[in-house]
This record gives sequence, structure tokens and C-alpha cells, in this order.
Amino acid sequence: MSSELIRIITAQEPEVRDRSLDAFCQDASLAQLLVECEALDAFRRQSGNLYERVRALFFLYAIHRFHIPRKAGCPATGKIPFDGYGKLLNRRFEEAIDVFLTAQHHEGPSDPISSALAAAYHDLGFQTLANQVRRSVRSVRGNQWMFRVGHPADQPLRLRPELLQRSASDGSFPILAETTPVRMDLTHSAWSDIFFLGMDYPQGARVLNISIDLAVRGRDAAPKPPVEAYLRVIDEPVLRLVSVDLAAHADITNLPEVFDFAKDYLGLLKAAVIASGIVPPGLEGSGRTLAELLSRVVGPGLGLEIVSSVNNIPKGSRLAVSTNLLGSLTSACMRATGQAKSLTGPLREEERRLVAARAILGEWIGGSGGGWQDSGGVWPGMKLITGAPACEGDPELGVSRGRLLPTHKILDQRDAPESVRQHLQESLVLVHGGMAQNVGPILEMVTEKYLLRSGPEWEARGKAIGILDRILGALATDNVRDVGAATTENFFGPLQAIIPWASTHYTETLIARVREKFGADFWGFWMLGGMSGGGMGFIFAPQRKQAAQDFLQEVMSRTKRELQNALPFAMEPVVYNFAINPHGTFARLLNGDDALLPPGYYAFMAPQWLRTDPRQLGPLRRAELDRFGAACRGDPALAGMVETLFDRLLPRGRTSGGTTQSLSELLTEHGFDNSQHEQIRLDLKNGRTGLSQNRLPPATPIHDVRPEDVVDLSEPDRPDGREQWRQLGTRALREGEVAVVSLAAGAGSRWTQGAGVVKALHPFCKLGGRHRTFIEVHLAKSRRVGRLHGAALPHLIATSYLTHEPIESFLAAREGYQYPGPLVLSPGRTVGLRMVPTARDLRFAWEEMPQKRLDEQQQKVRDSLRAALIGWAQRTGEATDYTDNLPSQCLHPVGHWFEIPNLLRNGVLDRLLGERPQLKHLMLHNIDTVGADVDPTLLGLHQAGGSCLTFEVITRRLEDRGGGLARVNDRVRLLEGLAMPREEDEFALSYYNTMTTWIDIPQLLDVFGLKRDELSDADKVAASIRNMATKMPTYITLKDVKKRWGHGQEDVFPVAQFEKLWGDMTALPEVSCAYAVVPRMRGQQLKDQAQLDAWLRDGSAAFVESLCEWDS
Amino acid sequence: MKIRKAVITAAAPSQRALPLQSLVDRDGVQKSALRIILEEAASAGAEEIGLVINPGDQKAYSEAAGDFASRLHFVEQPNARGYGHALRCARAFVGNDPFLHLVSDHLYVSRAATRCAQQLVRVAEAESCSVSGVQPTRENEITYYGTLGGRRVHGQNQLYEVENVIEKPTPTEAEQTLIVPGLRAGNYLCFFGMHVLTPSVMGLLEECMRDLAAGDRLQLSPALAKLATRERYLALDVQGARYNIGVRYGLLFAQLALSFDGNDRDEILTQMVELLASRERSA
Repeated sequence: MSSELIRIITAQEPEVRDRSLDAFCQDASLAQLLVECEALDAFRRQSGNLYERVRALFFLYAIHRFHIPRKAGCPATGKIPFDGYGKLLNRRFEEAIDVFLTAQHHEGPSDPISSALAAAYHDLGFQTLANQVRRSVRSVRGNQWMFRVGHPADQPLRLRPELLQRSASDGSFPILAETTPVRMDLTHSAWSDIFFLGMDYPQGARVLNISIDLAVRGRDAAPKPPVEAYLRVIDEPVLRLVSVDLAAHADITNLPEVFDFAKDYLGLLKAAVIASGIVPPGLEGSGRTLAELLSRVVGPGLGLEIVSSVNNIPKGSRLAVSTNLLGSLTSACMRATGQAKSLTGPLREEERRLVAARAILGEWIGGSGGGWQDSGGVWPGMKLITGAPACEGDPELGVSRGRLLPTHKILDQRDAPESVRQHLQESLVLVHGGMAQNVGPILEMVTEKYLLRSGPEWEARGKAIGILDRILGALATDNVRDVGAATTENFFGPLQAIIPWASTHYTETLIARVREKFGADFWGFWMLGGMSGGGMGFIFAPQRKQAAQDFLQEVMSRTKRELQNALPFAMEPVVYNFAINPHGTFARLLNGDDALLPPGYYAFMAPQWLRTDPRQLGPLRRAELDRFGAACRGDPALAGMVETLFDRLLPRGRTSGGTTQSLSELLTEHGFDNSQHEQIRLDLKNGRTGLSQNRLPPATPIHDVRPEDVVDLSEPDRPDGREQWRQLGTRALREGEVAVVSLAAGAGSRWTQGAGVVKALHPFCKLGGRHRTFIEVHLAKSRRVGRLHGAALPHLIATSYLTHEPIESFLAAREGYQYPGPLVLSPGRTVGLRMVPTARDLRFAWEEMPQKRLDEQQQKVRDSLRAALIGWAQRTGEATDYTDNLPSQCLHPVGHWFEIPNLLRNGVLDRLLGERPQLKHLMLHNIDTVGADVDPTLLGLHQAGGSCLTFEVITRRLEDRGGGLARVNDRVRLLEGLAMPREEDEFALSYYNTMTTWIDIPQLLDVFGLKRDELSDADKVAASIRNMATKMPTYITLKDVKKRWGHGQEDVFPVAQFEKLWGDMTALPEVSCAYAVVPRMRGQQLKDQAQLDAWLRDGSAAFVESLCEWDS
Repeated sequence: MKIRKAVITAAAPSQRALPLQSLVDRDGVQKSALRIILEEAASAGAEEIGLVINPGDQKAYSEAAGDFASRLHFVEQPNARGYGHALRCARAFVGNDPFLHLVSDHLYVSRAATRCAQQLVRVAEAESCSVSGVQPTRENEITYYGTLGGRRVHGQNQLYEVENVIEKPTPTEAEQTLIVPGLRAGNYLCFFGMHVLTPSVMGLLEECMRDLAAGDRLQLSPALAKLATRERYLALDVQGARYNIGVRYGLLFAQLALSFDGNDRDEILTQMVELLASRERSA
């Protein structure tokens, strides 16, 4: 079959091979695209070449996601077979594709089926790439044998005799101490160090990587290698793992626990023990004992203690602290078992490569993943790391263009003279901005774009490669100023062209403020890692560095305070001092009196020993306490240790007025209903309520709606009455009969994975040349509609305990974005207190509900984490109050049903009606439905229909989960996903609820049993709301909440809360409802940051921009 | 190339007594382990045998050698500085002749019509180069042996061209540098304790000795690694088995192997079955 796209994929000539898919698809018809898809699908099934298969899969994904839905003749409505969805969740991608293709064959192409095919091809593409990386990691020579060891007797490694040599004086064993710098990427590699990309296009994978020592300014005396790993023999047959920074330790006595990564905070240490071959991965599930293995490796009756410390360098530094810690631990373990010849000192080049390969293996085993440059701290100084084409003897040859592991060229004095190294240290201010965000979606976006060779992104990639050469040139000529210019150009040019989300409002505010303050002495900005906001670099004229460090500390803290409700900050920003490390990873053997672990170790472990009866302490531990005691008296590094130990032994009591009191104050202030709370707790405990009880009875008849149940406005030319509706709506707008209600009570749990920011204030995207918040977008749409109709629209923003004050002060600081009409906040009047979930509900959510399985190792880690969380819930007390967090993270909004009653209760509607008696309608919408505006046609349709509520729905895509429009017991209503008796019922429904609702105010008051003049009667209003609330179902839901601790560490806990939902108004017989099908771009919601890129690419962002009129 | 000399090292302090132990050989005759080893060497054509020993051990070894005592040239290793050093002590004895080298703590049982040493010497004489006896060994055992990397000689299944030698490598190192195409995954060629070496090895040991740090011990493997880069050096997968009499139960297994390979096989088998049958199974 002659296929143009297959020709592009298989071409050897770069000018054909690197052609953009989009360019081809723009001019193709639907029929042509379907023919190409058929050919591509057949091609990818038979091709033995990984690169061709993956590229075909990404082509298929992009055609179904971005092109077919836009083509004339592709219906918006269609059904996605649930069977295929189930297979997709279980990672049976090939079978899912077959199911979806069969449906497409029988039913014809449609937007929903294409959305399902796009998801399946996308996931299969990434699975194929992940499988290849996994195969390569396992087949790297030096790693293979560990997978063949299935019995302790097969274990060939032995501890080096030097480590078993006891001290003559006290019998203690020596300590192997490894110190490792972290790495920074001086060019930002345009993400080319993602394994897949280096293997696809090794020539494009180039990184300038520097090993550095660090100190937190104002806290640490001088820069030193921040990563430390220690290993020693102990006289107990256990594997003792200790993380000093995370204050975690475990004495592991059985093999399965070594492979249980998420049980505690010691996953990284476990991964190192496995990747280094001490506990080879082949032993997982062998049923043998750890003591057997330790006896063979270390000696009978002996064990190992492995300790890690990163000297409190904050998480999310973008300096690859975790990977270098893994490298450091792996290096120590490999030295100890003779796999590296150098027991002490630096490693040799071949040993560094092996340690890097094992660190990658460790990351894969631990279910995480970094780039191939991340273990750069193992190497010394400055180095150029480049992808390497697969050659004879490489396991990748014939499979991918590039090798898994890159090559490292250490820059010599000619490449980067000593002077430039010095000047760089004198000019660069390295900071952690405090933000911690998940860069996973960004890495997926980059992979996808590079493999698709999307035009602008591919061009930008070429520019970024050119910028690296420019920086290399600037280093060779000792021109730090030009380095700054180049990194700035990279950030504002290629990097943002490839991934707009790499920049944030916070970052750009900082850059602007620094530029304003330092003018020409500010030489440049430089982003570290996957995205900005965390680790960043600012380059200054050397004489201003000191002032710049002071200023950055102040401006970051100030800007963080301004934006802390809008963006996810994990910690207070810090400024680092740094120095280029000339050694790479380095080890020493500590003997005799020097055989001491880091001070943090003793601060953490010694109190436990001191509480023990001295007679029960072993001789080694007693000797260690002696050494430690002597060191405390003489070593300045241990100054203050006695006080620290005393504090740990006798923790100070809680000061009054702490968390508990604040929480109770908040509850009182926000109308917490304790009796309702206790009733829910009782019901939860007794099993009367819970996730499974949210569902309607299984026998409930649920069917899709009929064509006459909806008015379809999704096609531009239908139906006939549009013009009359538009005129009707236009008139109402001119008369000032309508107001907008934006629901802004939520914390965007999915948006920031439970970070507790105000989603409404999140500057989510650059529109009209600037980052815009959700609120700003909604006001811009209202501004435009008001101006077009000559009457400013009142815009109400429904807030909650969490969002009210931040939104109020945010809007005040920005003068309400100069909104020309009434801009009113409607404060929440109800609040709930989160509870520790029941194990029953956790199991229901994780075991009974359909779950997307993860890739093999990640799934293992998730299973382990979930087991730990169920244990946490049981230990803490099921259905007890969740109070172990910031007070605001313990409360919860109680569902959007309450937002309209709040308008009644807080007097906002009463006042507005007083000021505008002509007001008859409200348009209610979610904060993330950014395409919804007061469209006159829809308003006219609502008026003409005469219903109390007109709901907007959209046709369903695979990702639209959570209920839909249905006939339930023959009544047309919106059915929440939580209430669906069976998962598959949802897949029979054609339409998804957008939540955008047109409300007829007089009818609504009738439903509540209120007259207009009774709105000022608080008791009457409260009674009517209470009466209505009893008719509304209560759902139990699980939400993820982040708990922050330490230095940028975050834990996510599932907590239980209850909600009443607005869509259930449609179930009340006394409420008349109508339903309008609207175009997807109007009705879709932005729930997850991972959606943003596709939202930008498929034209949705441009659509929203066309509805907006900015104040500036 | 004709092999007329053999060197047997027996100077390791922990192994001094091993060759003096008695066993019953294949022919049913009780002999010392040393004598069995000397027979192995003599069968391969060694007319003169250099025995490297600790000072003071000569008398005991002469007695244990029996008829072969007359062929022996005793070489003393004055201080124990490693296996390679022991061999180097025999350089005057070796002179400019190629030689068969055996260790004194291993006994060999051939699975072919010719003895193990004969197989090795035949190949060395035919190929006129150094040849080491090797056996494919699973990776969990290689940390006990000198291990080599190389490739099979075209058309000869048991013969390998040696490219690299590492003493007691970890499997991590072995996988990177010692994989031999054609062997089963996870298997490496490890020394059999038997070599035919050209006299240039003595010069290479001398070079290695010069580079040795004070207190370090000289091994044979680094010299053999150098040998592979200087002249043709082969390895033969010997048709036979080696038995280390220096490990726990080593002598017992060596004795059983000799017995099962000799005249008394049926008698030993019968007694073992009786022993097993009469032994009550413990609870």
C-alpha cells in the first residue's frame, strides 16, 4: 500500500524523515486520513524496528487526537465500547486497539472512538519505549548476571576484606564513606537527555553538565559535596538502612521487605542495595532468607548498615539530588563488594559508567526515572555528555539508533580554562524558588513532540542544539556574560516554543524584578531541570553577586508570599553557594576513632540507644557511643550536639494556640455542622455510607437519552431556531437580565495533586501574551460580552473558607482586573472536616473500581504504597477526624450544590436583586470550564424553553469520566459517576455534563419555597436550604491531600469527605430542566495540567482567547 | 615445541600438607596426592619436575614422591609473596624451555582416553604456544578462579584464543570484558589449574613483580593477561574434572572421583548404597 506517512517514517534522508505530521494532515480529507491510519496500523504491527513502530504509534495517536475530530464528516457523537476501556486500563493496549478499531469499522469514525484510539496508541507508544529502556537497562553488560541469581548460593559477591577488619582497640568495623556532588545542566538540554530521545536521535542528545558542591546560604558554612553514603559491617544479620534527612530507619530481616519500596522512606536505599547486586534483583520472590544471603556476602552472623544523607538539600532542586544519591549509594556498595576496583578515592572511567548504569537500573527498579545526565555528579568537573549511536556489540544495535548510555567527555583546560570556571562561580547565583511540581507530564509532552517532529518544536530543538555550541564557545573564550545571554535566549526562545509550561508566572515575575533592579548587570537567566520555579540560575556581573544573592533571597520570599495561594510552593525559597567539584564521587575508609557516621545520624539514632538499658546494648554500639561522646567533646562539627540530643530525648511540649485551636476556630468561623459530621462518622463506621453506598441500586434502569431530550447546538448550522434565540438572548443581555456565577471554592486537587492552592488564582497559561489566572479569563469573557451588549455583566465568584480571603486580596491587589461591572464574592457558608478513610473505602476505590494499571515496576511501588496507606488509616483510626496537617488542609468544601444556596444565605443575591431588579438569569459554571461565556443564543434557548435550569452538555470522549446525561427510571437527568451502579453504564451515555447551568432565578426561588421579599429573612432562607438539602444525596469521596514536611518533602494522603452535587438538582421532580449540547471547546474542563498541551494544540486555547477581552 | 619440564607449586603456607595426604588411586594403590600429581605430569612427557616448596619441606616431599623423587628439582620460595611469585622462583629451573605447570592442591580425572595433562601438552606442542587448561564455570563460582575472555578458534570446539585474563573477577567485571561467544549465558572460562607456558612468562612475572606495591602478592593472572597481548596464547577446554583437595570435603570428593573412575568402582558403589540404605532417615 502506498502511504505517504510510512514513507516519512522509513525514509533515510533526514529532509523526508523529519517532515512534520501536522503539515501532511492539514490538507488531507477524513477519508484520506482513515486510509493512512489503516496503513500505519498494519505497518506498525509488522515492523520489527522499534523506532518505526513507535513513530507510527505516535502518528496514529496524533491523527486521532488532533486531526480526525476536526475533519468535516466526523460525527461528534458515538459510543466507546467499555470492553476496550477495560483493556486499556489493564494495559492490554493491543487488544484495546482491536476493540476500538472494530467499533470504528462497524459504527463509522467518530470523535469519541478517535479519542479512545488516541489514548490507546499513545499509551502503547510509551509502553513500547519503556519496554525498550527496561530491556536495555537489563542487558547492559555488567547488569545481566544480577537477574540470573535466583538463590543465595548463586550470589558471587563477597565483601572486601578491608571492611571486615575490626579495630584492635574496640572491635569496631571501618566505615566506607562516599561523598558525591550534584549536577547542574548549564545549557538546559531541551530535555534531550530523556532516554527515549537519546535512543531515537543520539546526535541531538547533548548536555553540558557540571558537578557542584553546595551550601544553603545563611545555613551552611561552605559548599561541600551534598550527597553522602556510608556503609559498614554490623554484628547482627540484618540489613540496616538509615536515611538521615528523612529521619527513617529500618532493620530489614527478610528479602520481600527489601523489594517493598513504598513501605517507608527508604525506597532509594533499597533500590541501591538491589541495583548494586548485594541483593540481586533475581532474588525477588525466591523465598529464601536475607540472613542466608548476608551470611554469604558479609559473613555468618554479620549484616550491613547503609546510611544516606543529602545534608538537607531541599527536594525539587532540579540538581538531581536523588539520582546522585542513588549513584553514591550504588558506588559505595559496589566498592564494598569489589565490583569497583577502587575502594577509596575517585572512580575510574569504566567504574563511573558502571555506577551510572546501575543507578539507572535502580531508578527503574524503584519505579522512578530521570534523564541519563542525572548521575553526572559521579563524574568530576565540567563534561559534555552526548548520546551515542548504537554500534556492533551494543544490545541496542538494530533496535534503536542510539545506545541507552551516553558518553562523557570531561572538559579540559582548553575547553574550559580555569579562569572561566572561576568566573562562573563568581557570577552565578543558584537558587531554589520553592516551587515543587510534577515534571512527568512535561517529559511526556517533549517525547511526543520530538517523535512527531512537530514543525515549530523541531525547529526549536535545532536552535537549542545551536545554543549549546554557543555556550561551549563562550566557555572556551572565558565569556560568562555570553553564557548568560545564551541561557536566557534558550529559556525565552526554544524551550518555551517546545514546552510553554516550562515557564511560570512566578519565574517570569522574578526575572522581571531582577532585571528592573540590576539592569545591565543582570547577565541572564537559566532554568534547571524539567521546568522552572524550583532550581534556577541567575547570572550577574561578578561585582554584584553579593547584592544579587541578598536581593534574590528577598524577592523570592516576597513573590512567593504574593503567589502562594495561586501556585504550589513546597518550601521557603533558598539561595545556594556553590563550587565546581573536581573529583566526582569520592570515597574514604574511616578507621578507629575516625569511624563515625555523620552528626545527623547520631542526632537521629543515639536517642533510641540512650533510652535502652546499657546492658542490652551490644559491645559495638557501646564502643560507638564512646567514640561519639569523645568526638562531641572535641570535634567542632559536633558543637551543639548535646543540646540536640537533649531536645530529642525530652521533646518540648506543644505550645498553646497551635494547630488544634486554629482548626477549631476555623470550623466555628465557617459554619461547621458538628451534628451532621458525627452522623456521617457514625454511618461511615457502621458501613451505612461509603463509596459503594454512593451508587444507585444495581437494578436501576439507566439508558442513554433520546435525540428529542436535548437541543443540539454543537454543529454551527443546527437547529433552525438559533437566530430567534440569539435575538432573545441579546435583548436580555442588553436589559441586564443576566449575571455570571463562577464556582471558585475548590483547591484544584487534581491540578496540583492536592497541594491546596486556589485554582481560580492559578496562572495556568499564557494568553494574550501573559500568564492568566482562571478568574482573569472568566472576567475577560464577561468584559467582552458586556461591552458587545452595552451593559456590564455582574460577575459573582462563589468562594469557600479556603479561597475567599486569597481571592479577595488577590483581586484587591489587581483592582479586580479593572472589571467594568459589579464583581462580587459570594463567601461559602458551609464547611466539612476531613476524616481518615475507612480501609473498606480505600479497598473499594483501589480494588473494586476500575483502575489504570501502571507499568510493571511502578505498579509494584503503587501497590506497596497503597498497602502502607491502608495500614496508616487503620493505625490512625478509621473515620476519625483528619487533623494531622495544616488546618486549611483538614477542612473541605462540601460540594458545589451548596454554592447557589450560599448565594441565598449570604445575602449576595438579595443585594444584587435589590440593585438590579431586572436580573432574571444566572449562568453558573465551573472555574475550569474556560470556554463558557454568556452566549446570547444559549441564553435565548434557556429563556425560550422556560425551564428552571438549562444544563450544557458535550459529547463524550474517553477522558470525560464522572457521569453523564441519562434516562434514569425514564426521567432525563444528570447522573454523577459516583452514583453509577456499574462502571459500564457510563459508556452507554452519549453526553457528559459540563456543569454550566442557566438558572431562572424566580423559578429557583420557587423550588426553594422562597419569595423574592423573603431573601432578607435569614431564618426562612436557612430553613428552606435545610429542607432542600435533605432531598439531595450525600456522596462520600476520597481526595488526595498533600502534607509537607522537612525540606520540600511531600506525602500524599487519601482522606474521606462528603459532598452534595449540583447535578442532582435534575433528579428532583419539582425542578424543570432542559439540556443543550454545546461544542466541545465551550464545554470542556481543564482538570489536569497534563491536558494543557493538547488544549493548546487542538485550538481550544485560541478559541478561548477569541472570547476574551483583556484589561491590559 | 617439546615439553620436557614441569613446575608444580606447593609453597602456599596453608597448603603445605595437602599433597602429603594419602588416597587410593584409580589402580587401587594407596599413594600420596603428590605422587598422583607427579604421575599426571610424567604421563604428559615431563622428564624433569621442579617442585616449588617452603624452605624445610624437601624431606617430606621426597618421601611422598616415591619413585618420582629422582626426577624432582626442589626450588624454595623464601617468603610467601603469592602464587605468581612461587612460579617465578622456578625461573632458573625452567631456563629457556616451555613447561607444564600444575598446582599441588588439585587432582584431575579425565573423561577422555588421555589424561588431562596429556591433552594439554598435545595441543601446546601442536600449536607451539602457551595453552592453559580451562573449564566453563558458572558466574557464581568465578570469584574463586582466574578467568579469561577470548573467542573460539575457528573449527576447533575446545580451543580458544585468549584475549584477557582477570584474577577472581566479579561477574560485573566478567560480563563487561570476559564474555566468550558460544558459551552458555552466565558461564565463563576459568582456569583448570594446569598450564603449558612458554618461558617468556617468567619475564612477564618479572615485569609484574617490578610494578608490585610493597606488601602486595604477585598473582599469575596479570602475567598471563600480558602474555595474551605479546604472543599467541590458547586455552583448552579440558575433557576432565578438577578436584580441589584444599577445600572442605575436597579430599573426600577427590577420592570418590578417583574411585568411580578406577578398578574399585563397583566395590565403592556397593558400599555407598549399603551405607545409604542402613542409615535411618532422621525425623
